[in-house]
Amino acid sequence: MLSKIKVVLALAALAFTLGLQTSARAQDTMKHEDGMKQNDGMKHEDGMKQDDNMKHGDIMPQANDGKALETGTFHGKVHNTSGRATIYRGEDGKLILRLTNFKTSNGPDVHVILVAAKDADDDANFLKSSTKRLELGKLKGNEGDQNYEVPSGTDLTKFQTVSIYCERFNANFGAAPLEKF
Amino acid sequence: MSTHVSSLLFHRKWILAISLPVLIAAWWAFRPEKLWINQKVNEAAPFASSTEPQPLYTGRLQGEANQTNGRATVYKAADGTEYLRLTDFSTSNGPDVHVLLGRSGDESLKQEIVKGQLDSIELGSLKGNQGDQNYSVPPSANLQKYDAVIIYCERFHAVFGMAKLEQF
Repeated sequence: MLSKIKVVLALAALAFTLGLQTSARAQDTMKHEDGMKQNDGMKHEDGMKQDDNMKHGDIMPQANDGKALETGTFHGKVHNTSGRATIYRGEDGKLILRLTNFKTSNGPDVHVILVAAKDADDDANFLKSSTKRLELGKLKGNEGDQNYEVPSGTDLTKFQTVSIYCERFNANFGAAPLEKF
Repeated sequence: MSTHVSSLLFHRKWILAISLPVLIAAWWAFRPEKLWINQKVNEAAPFASSTEPQPLYTGRLQGEANQTNGRATVYKAADGTEYLRLTDFSTSNGPDVHVLLGRSGDESLKQEIVKGQLDSIELGSLKGNQGDQNYSVPPSANLQKYDAVIIYCERFHAVFGMAKLEQF
């Protein structure tokens, strides 16, 4: 205990002398070993400029084909649910929810919804909450990778949780709280 | 005798007439056969990108001794090399801070100050206490075993922050 306090004190003193304001900032770009080659084959409105930049190794060509915005993993106790939920934004601005390594129990009338909450609990607790829900569609399968379109204009700062929802019994099979990717 | 038999038959009919719809309704509501019938799907990624680095594992950084935020993601580049990328990253500055891969279940990580040697893989000195940054992961690193990213102050054996990596 005493040694711990000493260490903390020493740390504080050191931090003070060094000045915590001097934050070292790093700004690495995404790696692209084959950036050059790839760029040759890619269409770019500003192809020339982009190519020039690549030679300096400064920036990475932004993923043209879908950027992961948010991601989270499923949890579910009553109905074992596991896997990952990720929301992508395509080049055209479309939002797509993709489930990967996904597994839940099969059931009647199961849907994928977004919930305007930080997280969703299992069954009983889910019933009580009068939170807003946004339907994305019927669950395509209880196992495997699958995509669902998210209506454009959906406020992802509000709808922060993906839920596998059994409409017939108003039960939450499993939920994945989303966090910034 | 005969009336007794006929009333029994009558009863049976009624039992059938009531129980059959009830059974059908129960089946429709619960669909018990779905308990052992799986429906597998395998849709392709909405945005095919085999040439882009693919995320393998990801996790949120959480502060231990010092406040630490951000996301840690291990990517596999097109050439097969793996690297760790920190995004939205922020921790407190400090002396001799390193980025390590460790075991999330490691008991010695439970304390803020680690006693003794930490079972870990060194990825390098922390490049900056704020901002996006990349660290190459040695090909020998077993990410099933070393499933946590640790921001570690070597001098004081202090765990600044940690991220449990989960499959992307």
